[in-house]
Amino acid sequence: MLKELFCVMRAVFRQQIIMMRRYMFNTMSSMVTLYIVFMLLFFGVRAVGGAAVTTATLEGMVVGYALWMLSIMGYSDLAWGLIQEAQMGTLEKLYLSPLGFRWICGFRQLTGLIITLVMVTVLVGIIMLTTGVYLRLDLVSVLPLLLLGVLPAYGFGFMSAGLALIYKRIQSAFQILQFVFVGFMVAPASWPISAYLPLNMGNRLLNQVMVQGRRLWELDPSDIGTLVLVAAAYCGLGLALFGRMETVARDRGLLGHY
Amino acid sequence: MVPAIEVEALVKTFNRGRKNAVHALQGISFSVWPGEVVGLLGPNGAGKTTTIKCILGLISPTGGTTRVYGFDTRTHRREVVRRTSAVLEGSRNIYWRMSALENLDFFTGLYGMSLSESRPYSEKLLELFRLRDRKHVPVQELSAGMRQKVAVACALATRTPVVFLDEPTLGLDVETSYELRRSLKQLAEEENRTIILSSHDMHVVQDVCQRVIIMNQGRIVVDDTVDNLLSLFRTRAYRFVLSDGLREDLERQLRARFPEVVVRRDLQTVVEVVVSRPEEIYLLIDLFREAGLLIESITQQEPDLEEAFLRLVRGEVAC
Repeated sequence: MLKELFCVMRAVFRQQIIMMRRYMFNTMSSMVTLYIVFMLLFFGVRAVGGAAVTTATLEGMVVGYALWMLSIMGYSDLAWGLIQEAQMGTLEKLYLSPLGFRWICGFRQLTGLIITLVMVTVLVGIIMLTTGVYLRLDLVSVLPLLLLGVLPAYGFGFMSAGLALIYKRIQSAFQILQFVFVGFMVAPASWPISAYLPLNMGNRLLNQVMVQGRRLWELDPSDIGTLVLVAAAYCGLGLALFGRMETVARDRGLLGHY
Repeated sequence: MVPAIEVEALVKTFNRGRKNAVHALQGISFSVWPGEVVGLLGPNGAGKTTTIKCILGLISPTGGTTRVYGFDTRTHRREVVRRTSAVLEGSRNIYWRMSALENLDFFTGLYGMSLSESRPYSEKLLELFRLRDRKHVPVQELSAGMRQKVAVACALATRTPVVFLDEPTLGLDVETSYELRRSLKQLAEEENRTIILSSHDMHVVQDVCQRVIIMNQGRIVVDDTVDNLLSLFRTRAYRFVLSDGLREDLERQLRARFPEVVVRRDLQTVVEVVVSRPEEIYLLIDLFREAGLLIESITQQEPDLEEAFLRLVRGEVAC
């Protein structure tokens, strides 16, 4: 079983790297677009806010943007990936793996996350160099928060992927959701419900670490508890919905359709 | 011996309980023994693909059971999938941005095979399908025939005992189709694998398969060996060449008795007819003699599977 798992993981990892290389223009252009959008936001905020914009605000912006990039990349990898597989006619073949589609999906997300982390790190580095706004990159504190912070986006990815199995063309909902993520992330802490919104607590805690220079163990344990709970809840919900939609798709014979 | 595939009273109804309910499978049953090469034939909507997908667990049946080497698809899907591989939609089943070899490595990897285990056989398949020289070229740059061959190779490379090929020659030109079926035949003979081949291309089925299951409207119309099916028609299809013209009243009589009779009037009169019972040939001869017609020649027509298929599906002949 372990050997099989390793072989599947290696096959998926290799395939993802090959596909990324073959779609290099797409990869590079999405990075450039994300960079340009951030620079427009950055200079826009500085121009409009004037003296009211502090360094902390700009640092917070960089952290929020990094988390958002990671979230939309993870989310769209999962949801778009599934739609593309259905379009290409390879989705049913993936369902024919003896280990099961969930493992393939899991390994694909892991690979995607590693690639995305590298891309976001490079982008944040370039953003820091260009803007002169430097963040504290305490990896021991940042990585766990980043991973837990983006998990709700993966939950939404699973939900959207499940819906895509049945309804196929739901791209417009995908695009809207990317902007809804921004709303979730910046919802004010004063709202009692905001801590339970996807990405919100992750953004708050990452700000405390990367802007205020606090370490992971110096953070409020109840906040970390909320982060874990929110991550598990959205991910669990996403997986449950995906499982339900898979059953419906099998019943209606929709796995191979697009 | 355990059958490689068992299908029992398989029922699939799409949109169950609605006005537009589609009864794709209406209680079909059959078994396939290890090493058999079986053709699944039928017009569009006959239920061939649904049958294959139910066996593979890609579609949940409404009723009945499917088993692969004794493992029930519903309860032991992982064991079923471990023993099966498939080409489901021709060349749409592979990654066009990846090369033939990369596709083979990926799909064998999904079956838990390491490169050292899969590569020698993958290379053999590339050689067999004459793809060795182009194995590093992205699939999208290959011809339609080559892409199809890569898809078939990907299904075979996993070395599962059961292989499903759903329309493997769809859209191929005559030459490539011939080449592909030659390779499939060779593999079937050499490796003793169980192959279920669904196709509209009767020549592929006639050439590669030992047995054929003909489906129509979710039911099995016939399940017999290809040889039996052809011999059934070989003894019943006749072509008469008459020296004189066929009078219209005699043609009417013929049509009343043999509705599918074909009469051609050129330099000679040719009558082609399929009799449902061998003794009916005497009836025909008597009719011609009474009309004072000379029979110049009688030939037993060499039927092909296409003819057998069409007549069975139309319900003209019962096996």
